[in-house]
Amino acid sequence: MPLAGLLLDLLEGLCVSAEIFALTLLFALPLGLVVAFGRMSRWWALRQVSRVFVSVMRGTPLMLQLFFFYFGPYYIFGIPLKPSYRFAACIIAFSLNYSAYFAEIYRAGIESIPAGQHEAAKMLGFTRPQTFFRIVLPQVVKRILPPVTNEVITLVKDTSLAFTLSVMEMFTVAKMAASAHTTMLPFVVAGAFYYVFNYLVAWGMERIEKMLSYYR
Amino acid sequence: MEEILRVKDLRKSFGDNEVLHGVSFSLHRGDVLAVIGPSGGGKSTLLRCVTNLEPVSAGSIRIAGEDLVSGGAYAPRAVQRRICLRIGLVFQNFNLFPHFSVLRNVTEAQRVVLGRSREHAAAHAMDLLDKMGLSAKADAYPCELSGGQQQRVSIARALALDPEVLFFDEPTSALDPELTGEILKVIRGLAEEKMTMVIVTHEMAFARDVSDRVLFLDGGVVAEEGPPAEVFGAPNNERTREFLRRFAG
Amino acid sequence: MNKQIAAFAAAGLCAVLATSCSGNSGAKTLPEKGMKFVVGFDADFPPYGYKDGDEYKGFDLDLAREVCARNGWTFVPKPINWDAKDMELDSGAISCIWNGFTINGREDAYEWTEPYVDNSQVVLVKAGSPIKTLADLAGKTVAVQTDTPVQKALAPDGDCAELGKTFAGVVVTPNYNNAAMELDSGAVDAVALDVGVAKQKMLDLPGKFEMLDQTVMTEKYGIGFKLGNTELRDAVQKTFKEMVADGTAAKISAEWFEGKDVIVLAP
Repeated sequence: MPLAGLLLDLLEGLCVSAEIFALTLLFALPLGLVVAFGRMSRWWALRQVSRVFVSVMRGTPLMLQLFFFYFGPYYIFGIPLKPSYRFAACIIAFSLNYSAYFAEIYRAGIESIPAGQHEAAKMLGFTRPQTFFRIVLPQVVKRILPPVTNEVITLVKDTSLAFTLSVMEMFTVAKMAASAHTTMLPFVVAGAFYYVFNYLVAWGMERIEKMLSYYR
Repeated sequence: MEEILRVKDLRKSFGDNEVLHGVSFSLHRGDVLAVIGPSGGGKSTLLRCVTNLEPVSAGSIRIAGEDLVSGGAYAPRAVQRRICLRIGLVFQNFNLFPHFSVLRNVTEAQRVVLGRSREHAAAHAMDLLDKMGLSAKADAYPCELSGGQQQRVSIARALALDPEVLFFDEPTSALDPELTGEILKVIRGLAEEKMTMVIVTHEMAFARDVSDRVLFLDGGVVAEEGPPAEVFGAPNNERTREFLRRFAG
Repeated sequence: MNKQIAAFAAAGLCAVLATSCSGNSGAKTLPEKGMKFVVGFDADFPPYGYKDGDEYKGFDLDLAREVCARNGWTFVPKPINWDAKDMELDSGAISCIWNGFTINGREDAYEWTEPYVDNSQVVLVKAGSPIKTLADLAGKTVAVQTDTPVQKALAPDGDCAELGKTFAGVVVTPNYNNAAMELDSGAVDAVALDVGVAKQKMLDLPGKFEMLDQTVMTEKYGIGFKLGNTELRDAVQKTFKEMVADGTAAKISAEWFEGKDVIVLAP
């Protein structure tokens, strides 16, 4: 099999994987914060809704959720699917799933900030949003970087689940090439790509951690 | 002198446990009030209630002519916040913002809350840091400072908003004994400038020296109140005598 | 034991001796007891015929072994060079080619049995769809299962690349069920798949889908014999049909195709 062609095919798949990765983070990181707020809300109902959301999202396989968000509109509401919805459903499922994990990391981070920080901010006249975004969140970010890095690296590898919805990400391309040419080479190359991808992610996160190491 | 703080019949319960059983006192502008008493007597709870960190169960608090809480009913949130801006609090554990430099700890509220310009806020902050003997540490981070230095930064941070009353919650309790002196010196300096202050403290000698009036709080009630000479010299209350004897002995 | 059987056994023994004595290791063209039935196959074509360790195994070989057993023939699996299969057959070195051997395009080159496996690739559309022919698929989205013959055929370098090019897009699904759901929910306009699976889907979900009359690829497997050798062909076919009738063929199929009966030969 021509190596150049294989590399080109895999790079194309890598682009799809990277797209899923980037869009999922783009939506899941802020959404996780919203869910975390729900978990810590003063209102009982909102707390329960968020709790159930996190519980279901973490308690069921991502593959099942992909199915649910893609086929759900048709099999539940009878809305015929459009081809363009495939990728959207994939991003919706990934984003909601990861937002549940991020929410719990945020919550742990927010709750680990000493009450004294809130009290000091209150005494200085900061409003609650000012307190959160200027005082609490920056400290939370520093504390949650290691667990967030874990999730982000898992996400890179989870992108291969997108094939559940026939999205041609890198691992699918590798599987097809391997079966078409009866060789393990595509898997080796795909593995290398994943590793490099994650190496860059870990390197980036480490840089951010270093940037935030100016205080304890 | 103008009355700046009046607390009347303040009660506070945690669940079924009432820790303040109707505390009343008042404070005039320019006065220094020392709050003393045994541990668990309700000193810190009183301070937290007056500074609105803890809601009262009943009673009234009037600060600088405005009711924070009247007969157990709180003012609207906006009024609460306005009142809050006229007082400052120095915590036992400093509670500096670790991700901000010393300078930014002192300028942040000025800029965000009072809307002062960067230059104005920085100039004011540097004045205060200079007064605290910390102008050289403006760019340092809290974790790089000693406990005494951190507490001085937190005093500068509280002063930066030009409060009319400054509260201290056992400001030296978290410090090594050899560092308490520098904090007491700073507070003494503020007293000389006629800063209105309420100081919860275990430092009896300091309380006697620096205060205009002393409040002895025991078992959730004001057991004794008066000028330091009276409270320390000729206490009426048996509990006060016993408490002071232990410190003297 | 009666005389007749004894006579047959004796004749069989003689035949074996005769073939071995004459030094002719080739296959007999006439079906008689005790003869060697040499099955020519490509040892690199699982699951129909392949080499596993020192043994030759496969679906077709199991079928052939059973046919031999029933006729009293000696079963001889003979891996051949696929390019030399015609010479092997013409020279009599092998009795037949039995190896997932596609009839289509070779109809006149061999003496064929009736097809016993139908690997045709067909198109399913939703019931009532305006798509009636392969030409109607132009500009439509078509789902295929990954790693199937039709996926390879429709690929740009495949046998049906011309047809594939007319589609708006090909969606590769992880399995047939996904493809059916994609079709059902309207995400794709058609599914190209194996005829056996298509028929099963239509049975499972009656009234939901229709199959186009035209096929994407017609691929039926038969057993090929040397032209003119109808006698042996008929004998094999007759036994094969008996095996279908008594369920033996289905049992062999189930062993190789995860419980499925892929055999389309009518008894």
